[in-house]
Amino acid sequence: MVKLTIDDQIVEVPEGTTILEAAEKLNIYIPTLCHHESLTSYGGCRLCVVEITQNGVTDLTSSCTYKVEEGVKVKTTTERVKRVRRLVLELLLAEAPEAQIVQDLAKEMGVTIPERFKPRRDDLCILCGRCIRACRELVGVNAIDFAERGYSKKVAAPFYKSSPDCIACGVCVYICPTGAITMQEVEKGEKARIPEGEEVTGPARIINNWKVGLAMKRCKKCGEVIAPEFQLDYLRKKVNLPEDHFDICLSCRE
Amino acid sequence: MSSVKDLERLKAEGMNSLFPSKTKIMVGMATCGQAAGAQEVWQAIHQEVKRRKLDVVVKKTGCIGLCQHEPLLDILKPGYPRITYDRVTPEKVSEVLDGLVKGKFKKSIMARIDHEEFLLDDTRTRYSKDKIPAYITSIVPYNRLPFYKKQKRVALRNCGFIDPENIAEYVAKGGYFSLTQVLRGGKPEKVISQIKRSKLRGRGGAGFLTGVKWEVCRNADGDGKYLICNADEGDPGAYMDRSILEGDPHSIIEGMLIGGFAIGANQGYIYVREEYPLAIERLQSALTQAQEEGLLGENILDSGFDFELEICRGAGAFVCGEETALIQSIEGNWGEPKPRPPFPAVSGLWGKPTVINNVETWANVPVIIAKGANWFNGLGTSRSKGTKVFSLVGKVNNIGLVEVPMGISLREIVYEIGGGIPNGRKFKAVQTGGPSGGCIPKNLIDLPVDFDQLKKAGSIMGSGGMIVMDDRTCMVDVAKYFLTFLEDESCGKCVPCRVGIRRMRELLEDITSGRGREGDIEYLQQMAETIKEGSLCGLGKTAPNPVLTTLHYFRDEYEAHIRGKRCPAGVCKPLITYSINPETCTGCGVCLRVCPQEAISGKKKKPHKITSSKCIKCGACFEVCTFGAIVIT
Repeated sequence: MVKLTIDDQIVEVPEGTTILEAAEKLNIYIPTLCHHESLTSYGGCRLCVVEITQNGVTDLTSSCTYKVEEGVKVKTTTERVKRVRRLVLELLLAEAPEAQIVQDLAKEMGVTIPERFKPRRDDLCILCGRCIRACRELVGVNAIDFAERGYSKKVAAPFYKSSPDCIACGVCVYICPTGAITMQEVEKGEKARIPEGEEVTGPARIINNWKVGLAMKRCKKCGEVIAPEFQLDYLRKKVNLPEDHFDICLSCRE
Repeated sequence: MSSVKDLERLKAEGMNSLFPSKTKIMVGMATCGQAAGAQEVWQAIHQEVKRRKLDVVVKKTGCIGLCQHEPLLDILKPGYPRITYDRVTPEKVSEVLDGLVKGKFKKSIMARIDHEEFLLDDTRTRYSKDKIPAYITSIVPYNRLPFYKKQKRVALRNCGFIDPENIAEYVAKGGYFSLTQVLRGGKPEKVISQIKRSKLRGRGGAGFLTGVKWEVCRNADGDGKYLICNADEGDPGAYMDRSILEGDPHSIIEGMLIGGFAIGANQGYIYVREEYPLAIERLQSALTQAQEEGLLGENILDSGFDFELEICRGAGAFVCGEETALIQSIEGNWGEPKPRPPFPAVSGLWGKPTVINNVETWANVPVIIAKGANWFNGLGTSRSKGTKVFSLVGKVNNIGLVEVPMGISLREIVYEIGGGIPNGRKFKAVQTGGPSGGCIPKNLIDLPVDFDQLKKAGSIMGSGGMIVMDDRTCMVDVAKYFLTFLEDESCGKCVPCRVGIRRMRELLEDITSGRGREGDIEYLQQMAETIKEGSLCGLGKTAPNPVLTTLHYFRDEYEAHIRGKRCPAGVCKPLITYSINPETCTGCGVCLRVCPQEAISGKKKKPHKITSSKCIKCGACFEVCTFGAIVIT
């Protein structure tokens, strides 16, 4: 166990715990955007910075990546910390002014778009990378990654083409903090177009961002829609199930 | 090879190659030389030698530092000092060889070298013992050229003196004897303590104590440790590492072998950018030769120590010079930095303890072993020991690569070594530490250059870039230039760096275009300070430096742009106008002929005029007017 102080409160946590997790134990709130408890830490948004003092040296660090060390003194709301958080929110607010979570956090901290910035309204993505990590770490598919660098950085399927690996599971959609990834269920008989791609006839599911449209598998008995066929194939192969395993839906199986 | 005896044999072979019994012609064939036309000179020499059936040896060598004078050609005639011709062209080769045949050298010699220093074993070899003609003794010796007078070549000890593609010449200069000494001593702790006592600090940027880093890594748990040489040099106008890689690749290999033995690593990587094809080629040939000689591989010099070294080519991202991003790149991942801790010395490449040092640091290691920590300690200042290589560029007469003891003043570097500012202009500032360094103004010209003093002045040592600026440089424009570079090179992982640098650059764009507003300076300052604090890695943490130092030292220039809508240095196009002073214009018509816009009119021998609506402010007229009649306001 490691003992440390956060905002003058002493807390003891197992080795390997991050400052963010330790603070949660004390009910101390630290804002985050790129962090998600089911994913590895990234340290990209810099909202969760805290001030740490160790061996007489004080520095700022991201609390989601910093593993606790014995005797470390942490301050979560100093002026220095607030300055960085405010700047991050100013910058993000101008980048994705329509993102609800950014608006909420900005309001919380009393931040508005600086007069000198020209806001862009074409994208909700704040490049936190949660979708990429979820696809890699939770789903194990690796359908998407960052492309380009710096200000041109984007999340995309390889070569900006339709992802050949995406199983349209939708985890990226659910884990995105700003709602930048959209999914569309195409009902039976309806027609819809995959972005920059062909037209599909429902039942199908489209993940717009990765330019993927997958046909849905239907129950051989009752005809109900189960899930995208490609996704079921992926799962079946991954856990080594018989080829006809998903032919019949759960209700018909009982 | 398995013993010192074998090494001595190679040394003898190398001495014969360095100082052959017949005339030797050497051409500086580093990238700087080749860019100036050394390849053509090289071919011309071969053709001429063949045509004249001359019995001479023709050899390549690395960069000797005076890049502005390239291509350099050296003649080593037994019984004569080594003499150097500068700015050689294929046409000039014939003249030089004529002189050689007739026994009378051409008089356009730049300098001579009477003796060659063998730094590692403290010897000097005189080139000449015989009587030599007076016109040769009247040529200035290298060490009395202002460019070389105050230099002390440690990391660059062999560059421009040996053939980088011949291991024997490196050995002749004392190479691989430090390795032998270390392996025979058999005590890694002793090596670490010697490096610690030398107080060598990393030459890559941050200046961390090398010995301490090695010790942490040696003491870290886990086997399978790694060594990395960071050769991802990417600062605009900086080429310290390239020169060592191209001119003396074995010095890095030997340094890494010693480091590997000290920390207990058996595998090392040299991470070089793909944009350095010649460096990679020379390094590869050096690795092959070291392997053939048994200096790399298993049971090196019969000591039981195994070490493998591999080149890893980077795709040229500036951020991959940051150690955690570099490690990601070697692992085959996206070149993005990771937060520290954990530090690489504890958990680095593939999660194993890893020491990562820069090219120049590795090149210093064999010298410290050979000459001792005390010798190294004798150079430099109290907290910055040894020498530092700088790439001296910009508005300075002698552009080149210089190595000086730490603590030398900026004045000595700029005015003595650099020969001052060209075209009678005035010195304004010097940017140290690459794009994320800072601009140091004229009134700090006597600043002693070391890690701490540069930091105190708001800049950094960085890897050793040094860009001299004259009074026709706009400091707001300079800050914008560096930020544009850094915006482009930011990996984009963290928000302050990815978006913050861009926003700062946009503000500077506005200011230099006459759209600056009251409050911009304060906002820039605040944003710069916060980006420095909040960014994830060294790139973002230092990126605001050019803005902060120019704001600190040249605030009046920012104010002139914002309030007066004028650029005092006459650089920012939207804020300047060109006109002709009728008093000084002689009506020669030169400006009229060079103007691409036909914006200049006037009768011959009568004062000319610029029609400002047609003028695109290209500055062509200004450059050609010899009467100073073109006025920028």
